[in-house]
Amino acid sequence: MRSRLLTLKIRRFNPERHPSEWLQAFHLEPWEKMNLLEALLHIQEEQDGSLAFRYSCRGAVCGSCAMRVDGRLVLACRTHVEDLLGKPVLIEPLPYFPILRDLVVDMSLFFAHYREIQPYLHGKSISSEREYLMDVSSRRAIDPYVNCILCGICFGNCPAFRLDRQFLGPAILAKAYRFLIDPRDGREKEILENVNGQKGVWGCKTVFNCVKVCPKEVPPTHAIVQLRNEILRRRLGSLFSRLKSLFSL
Amino acid sequence: MDILSYDALVVGGGLAGLRAAIEIKKAGRKVAILSKVHPLRSHSTAAQGGINAALANIPVPVKDSWERHAFDTIKGSDYLADQDVVEVMCQEAVDRVIEMEHWGTLFSRTKEGKIAQRPFGGAGFPRTCYAADRTGHNLLHTLYEQVTGLEIPVHEEWYALTLVVSEGRCFGLLALHFFEGKIIPIHAREVLLATGGYGRIYLRSTNAVINTGSGSFLAYEAGVPLEDMEFVQFHPTSLYGTNILITEAARGEGGYLLNARGERLMERYAPKHMELAPRDIVARAIQTEINEGRGFEGEYVHLDFRHLGRGKILDLLPGIRQIAIDFAGVDPILEPVPIQPAQHYSMGGIETNVDGETALPGLFAAGECACVSVHGANRLGGNSLLETLVFGMRAGRKAVLSMDSAKSLPDPGLFEKEWSRLQARLEGIFRRGKQEPCFRLRDEMKSLMSSHVGIFRNESDLSFARQEIRKLKGRLRSVGVNQQNLAFNYQLIQYLELEGMLHLAETIVEGALARRESRGSHYRVDYPNRDDNHWLHHTLAFKTPDGPRLEQKEVTITGYPPKERTY
Repeated sequence: MRSRLLTLKIRRFNPERHPSEWLQAFHLEPWEKMNLLEALLHIQEEQDGSLAFRYSCRGAVCGSCAMRVDGRLVLACRTHVEDLLGKPVLIEPLPYFPILRDLVVDMSLFFAHYREIQPYLHGKSISSEREYLMDVSSRRAIDPYVNCILCGICFGNCPAFRLDRQFLGPAILAKAYRFLIDPRDGREKEILENVNGQKGVWGCKTVFNCVKVCPKEVPPTHAIVQLRNEILRRRLGSLFSRLKSLFSL
Repeated sequence: MDILSYDALVVGGGLAGLRAAIEIKKAGRKVAILSKVHPLRSHSTAAQGGINAALANIPVPVKDSWERHAFDTIKGSDYLADQDVVEVMCQEAVDRVIEMEHWGTLFSRTKEGKIAQRPFGGAGFPRTCYAADRTGHNLLHTLYEQVTGLEIPVHEEWYALTLVVSEGRCFGLLALHFFEGKIIPIHAREVLLATGGYGRIYLRSTNAVINTGSGSFLAYEAGVPLEDMEFVQFHPTSLYGTNILITEAARGEGGYLLNARGERLMERYAPKHMELAPRDIVARAIQTEINEGRGFEGEYVHLDFRHLGRGKILDLLPGIRQIAIDFAGVDPILEPVPIQPAQHYSMGGIETNVDGETALPGLFAAGECACVSVHGANRLGGNSLLETLVFGMRAGRKAVLSMDSAKSLPDPGLFEKEWSRLQARLEGIFRRGKQEPCFRLRDEMKSLMSSHVGIFRNESDLSFARQEIRKLKGRLRSVGVNQQNLAFNYQLIQYLELEGMLHLAETIVEGALARRESRGSHYRVDYPNRDDNHWLHHTLAFKTPDGPRLEQKEVTITGYPPKERTY
């Protein structure tokens, strides 16, 4: 029979201590159906009150508890410890962001990138008394991207972001695409110019890591490919019109 | 001492707080948001089923109207809601929903391309506008996007520790910068609390772990009364095991509640509305089935919506399907979902008027932490998201109108005095050493509230709960905190939040003991009937050194005289 003991080896960090980084093992006997967030809360209560991590909804909708478990990026609340029993499990913070304390990372760069694409609807004008009409299929096309909870997991698994922290990143490019295809948004050129470049869609390695790892089944790579196509289509369009004006001379 | 200064400070980054901040910013005022979590992590994001507004987008024989919405809300409240404020909410509902759509919320659509609406409990019309079953998530992200566009500063992961009050006016607060461990004084001409509910007082709750009611306690401590705290909503359908919410929309779209004999159990309790009776009635029905041995394993019943079919479930209820798979290992396309009632929402809260003003000048409140009161003794599904937007906006607007005539700081040393007082209090806690761990008291409180102050209440259980809460308050005085440094001091926060929760629990117990009738969510088995002659009034709880002092407040009746409530 497999051991009922859960062993978490947690990568700790506290800049006020020497050394500031260390690995610490915690053991506990999990109750039935315990998830990793509950295990961490249990450790914080019963074993080490200084263990730092983020949490809120415990239902995989708020995006607080992204972390790395034996190299895999997960939301702790949605990770069952049943699958982690038997041998020590390495728990680490979301990579590529500065660590503030233990499993808490500084997400300000993530939200700086978010702000860069002006992630709010630039609505076409409409009477304030009624809604925009939108067909069911347009809504369905946007919906997968709107489901993003901005947990940052896709950044932690992105080779482009690993190489260049200026890369806007999967979740943010998916958000840009969401506004591009929203029939209510008046922008097109602005969105495409914002993401056109190495730190935008051309930095992506199209290895689909973000799609595979997303806990909410958002497909950022698909959005990035579509954004590239739109940029190329526009370029081709302007080339055509330039040629046309040449010939008409 | 460096003091931050704003025209208005909004505490809480959920829907009500963000909506209020947007209103203040758009009036050209200097506003900031303070939140103990990043705004996108707020509990608003967990709301699923929708938001009510009489758009009348779904063709039915009779056209829906705000008056019908108001009637349903008032009847749903068991006639305890103040009818004038319900009318305001229902009149402004359409504008607030359209505004969210214009700001980018991706509502589901009708065939004609309009905002889709679904039936919800206690409503005579398909009135609940929705974005699949992720309506809260969609609304919260939309408002945060607006906050980003307006460049409203957010103090993220700061805790509000105490309000700064002098000469009968609120002048700001002291906050803890959790990561840096600094206490930061913030002066604001108006402070607006939008800190959400206290669900974590209960063992079984749909609420996020962060929902400790800390803002309600701040107001209570400052002498502001809490209203109607005995009215606690138990949601009929939380996922068995984790108590994560399974939306009422599952029933709105046609789901059945089945007991262990395979019967549609609501036939016994609400033969007309069946699964779409209001939440108080459905929650009691399910609990009765379980108590009388017609549940599964003595713990739960089934919510079955397999007959909707795969396509409809994936289109309309994808979020709860994912939750049921992730957290119960059940795919609702193939199997019924095990559910049980759990604490869900607080009808009570900080007493406010229709513009979010509290009894303390300079202090506003909106959203779940407030009690306007639009929900009375029982809230209808789809009305809480609406409340956040309508009253968040109104509170923000009124704060702007009030701030120019606001008294200026009477004494420049006020913040320093408050700071030393807080410092002394914290040192007192730190000096104790660790005697009893905080979480043990918390767990005892939660079990007590679920077992003795739950769906069915009686005098002896409530009296027992009163004694136990008093004992817990006594024991709290010997709970210490190991870590002395303020940075990342989870123990200290847990201690302070537990203190607040015990006080809130006490107001619930006292209100429930006093109210010798059954109305809405408050069901006394020893007084099973509504008693309008004696109890058609609100309860106000004021903090005193000996516990809450209760007063009564009249209910505002406009055009809907109390009637028997049948479904």
